[in-house]
Amino acid sequence: MTIKGGPAVLFIKLWNYFRGYVIIKISGEYAERLLNQAALKSIYLWDVRRIDSKALIAGVSVSDFLSLSRLARKTRCRILILRKAGLFFLLNRARRRKVLLAGAGLFIAAVYFLSSFIWSIDVITQNPQLKEAVESDLRQWGLKEGTFKYHLDTKYYLDKILQQHKEVAWGEIRVKGSRLVIELIEKKMPPELEENTPCDIIASKDGIIEEIIPFKGEALVKPGDTVSAGDVLITGRVAIKSDQTREDLKNQADQTRVLLVHAGGIVKARTWYQKAVKIPLVKVENIPTGRVKKAYRLQLGKNVLKFQWGKVPFALYETETVEETRLLPESIGDVRFSIINCREVQTRRQFLGVEKAAQEAEKQLLEVLESLPEDIKITRKRMDFALDSDEKNVIGSLTLEVIEDIGREQEFN
Amino acid sequence: MSDGIKKRISDALELPGDIVLNLPRVIVTGNISVFVENHKGIVEYDSDRIRINTAAGTVIVKGEGLLIKSLVADEVTIEGRLKLIEFEE
Repeated sequence: MTIKGGPAVLFIKLWNYFRGYVIIKISGEYAERLLNQAALKSIYLWDVRRIDSKALIAGVSVSDFLSLSRLARKTRCRILILRKAGLFFLLNRARRRKVLLAGAGLFIAAVYFLSSFIWSIDVITQNPQLKEAVESDLRQWGLKEGTFKYHLDTKYYLDKILQQHKEVAWGEIRVKGSRLVIELIEKKMPPELEENTPCDIIASKDGIIEEIIPFKGEALVKPGDTVSAGDVLITGRVAIKSDQTREDLKNQADQTRVLLVHAGGIVKARTWYQKAVKIPLVKVENIPTGRVKKAYRLQLGKNVLKFQWGKVPFALYETETVEETRLLPESIGDVRFSIINCREVQTRRQFLGVEKAAQEAEKQLLEVLESLPEDIKITRKRMDFALDSDEKNVIGSLTLEVIEDIGREQEFN
Repeated sequence: MSDGIKKRISDALELPGDIVLNLPRVIVTGNISVFVENHKGIVEYDSDRIRINTAAGTVIVKGEGLLIKSLVADEVTIEGRLKLIEFEE
């Protein structure tokens, strides 16, 4: 067996530590011979030290010790064990200390036992109400702190959550150590009610009724009526014709004689829109001069710290990010390095005059008109232009009279 | 083959001497450690003097508090305060 020095020797020492080794005292006239014999028989000896003219101390592994003592007889040396060391002897000694072993075993068992329960339940969702509701539901269904985590039927609970809370679009339950993590994603409920849910049609905004066509339910207003937001236009409570008068039914508010339906219909009303814009008489514009300077920026957080290299020789400039690199993963921190372009700009002041400012105001107001929903019919349009009190701005105001559907479904309380 | 021819072959082919001529390789680290590879046994061991048999004669290491750090068939590592390393024909 050939053993190279360096790490191999370290490895052998480690191996010997696990297997156990002894520190021996070799006494005899010619102990060197024993050393050479041992080396030839591939017995590994280490830390050989002379203590007096007739004795040496050395370390040897347990398995090599037996062959060494056989050699010792041949070379007329005496071997005495000074110390036993290593894991082998340590365990051997521990075998006699039953209570200590039992304690260590108990400790490991206790850690294992305690970690097989769920100690905290985390519901991760955007909606705090849903979080609370799910937490209390789980408690009701018997999933609470102290539940045994093995054989936990997470699918069963997930199904129950999804059944109970219709607004949950996606959910996941997983056990993370002694933590139960429930992740829920809520879906946006459509504003329309389901087809068969009884409801009223109410006014979504103020207006004068122009036309009302009930498909289902009973119209409570007629054309020409002024309504304000929230008023019931078509009711879902339809009185069943009987001998009694309609007044009686209303007074009694008896549900058995009132049919609840999902009201529907078209309610067109005259409504008004207003929009104002302010245009200064002196127009300030930043015009790029065409000179550009490149700079580098190290950014910590969005507004926390910014370091910038490269001097910008312009008095006034606008910046534009050319390239941006995140230096750290998003979860660790927001550190970015970016290359930016600084464009020099010049301020130009232009006196528009009342006429031109009014034109500008009109242009902006017309843009507003274009952004209105398409199903709106404009019946009247008025634009006014006026100078403000300190005569620096032109104020343009737009008043629109339109006809639109103001009906909105609302469930009964 | 005689050692003379071996040496000439070793020189001509630039082969390392410790392989061709069976010479020991002695590595000294400062004055704290000597590593002798390809030795032929320890002749004498004392805390101030160690004699190691090799093909190139006896290597004598002198110093204080010398200790055989490890000993296997053809390698020996000696540690301590080294003072002198000598070859004896």
